[in-house]
Amino acid sequence: MEETPRNDLAVQVRGLTRAFGVRKALNDVSFELPTGAFLSIFGPNGAGKTTLVKVLTTLLNPSKGSASVLGCDVVSEAVELRHRIGLISHNPLLYPDLTAEENLLFFAEMYGLDDPKTRVRELLGDVELDHRRLDVVSTFSRGMLQRLSIARALLHKPDVLFLDEPYSGLDPHAVDILDGLIAQIRGDHTFVMISHDLDKGLELCSHALILANGKVVLFENRDDIDVEQFRKTYRATVGTGVA
Amino acid sequence: MAKSNSWRQFKAILRKDLVMELRTKEMITSMGLYALLTMVVYQIALAEAGDSFDVRLVMPGLIWVAFIFMSMLGLNRSFVHEKDQGCIDALLLSPVDRPVIFFAKFAGNLLFLMVVELLSLPVFSFLFLQGREGFGNPVWLVGVVLLGASIGISGVGTLLATMTVNTKGKDVMLAVLFVPIMYPLLRAAVGATFAAVIGGPGTVQAFWLYMAWVAGFDVIMVAIAYALYEFVIGV
Repeated sequence: MEETPRNDLAVQVRGLTRAFGVRKALNDVSFELPTGAFLSIFGPNGAGKTTLVKVLTTLLNPSKGSASVLGCDVVSEAVELRHRIGLISHNPLLYPDLTAEENLLFFAEMYGLDDPKTRVRELLGDVELDHRRLDVVSTFSRGMLQRLSIARALLHKPDVLFLDEPYSGLDPHAVDILDGLIAQIRGDHTFVMISHDLDKGLELCSHALILANGKVVLFENRDDIDVEQFRKTYRATVGTGVA
Repeated sequence: MAKSNSWRQFKAILRKDLVMELRTKEMITSMGLYALLTMVVYQIALAEAGDSFDVRLVMPGLIWVAFIFMSMLGLNRSFVHEKDQGCIDALLLSPVDRPVIFFAKFAGNLLFLMVVELLSLPVFSFLFLQGREGFGNPVWLVGVVLLGASIGISGVGTLLATMTVNTKGKDVMLAVLFVPIMYPLLRAAVGATFAAVIGGPGTVQAFWLYMAWVAGFDVIMVAIAYALYEFVIGV
């Protein structure tokens, strides 16, 4: 019998498998994440981290098993779920030939925001890009792109924020801005972050997960983690545990 | 939670594509240049045909060969923007029904194709019909064929461009899939254009018969593209 998703859980994953041909990028993954938690996902390249985030953000369908976010099934309730989640990737997911303001206004229309202009101005201020709002995005530095990408992901005030290596390639100023924004919204949001930076990931998280070969090697509450033991487990997976 | 609205999303995607095209002019420039170069090549190819050769007999075929290949250049470009910096993921992550993306992309492709066709046609007429007999039937009939055939080209082309954008050698893949599917439309469009250009008894009836063929292709193919789009663009 299929289990009903629980409302106190932000993410519920049960026996999740995603295959590409014969290769299983995710193989029978299960875990539960409470609302308001911060999950850091670690693992070597090819371990299935991005595939997991793609399934949870409705960009990929599971081959087997189920996943729900905020009680919404990622397949059958995908449209409703998309209103409630945001994604910040190492790819900026922005149109290079549009200005910063045009990019945000476009996505504000896609999410059906009531007063898109006010929300866009507010967010451009938050990410310190209001002075560049009329410049096309192709002229932006990596840090500026990532800041604008953060604004895009927060436009519709999502309840769960997925972060796919968000600190990758950022300058210290952009890191400070991203840290500030995460701290600002931390209490009201659930976060799922992929990271290769063990220190940063452990500093931010309330829960940690290590994936290798598409399988869960470790899933623990941060308070229960012995950092040295965790590092050893992590190192043991890197370089040996690719799918 | 904000409520998304399909009409608002359709307009946003179309406006975004128009703004980007007006800014970069990638599709219109590549299609326009291709059309112009093809006409020059045609003129060289027909240079020795002599004054007795009625170029109007081959003009409909020449026009549609140019337009079919020209459209592939534009269609290929229409999804490249979405692949840049992973924009397609951001679009798919938003609460938009996939058919809305199809219709917005289809409308944009149709608009750009029609603009280039309407700009190319006078140049074509100038190069090939100068000093010869003009159109046998009212010129607006040619406009009707252009619109009817362009709907089919854009509808099928939008679907195929979405399918092939992630493939290796997408240019070749699009051509391999697109040209055979376009064969019935191409045949009817050439027939209708021929009837419009040559004129004479019975040609208006023949024109509308071919146009019924074109309209039937459009309805069937756009309906198939609409039905398949979620599967093609999705997960």
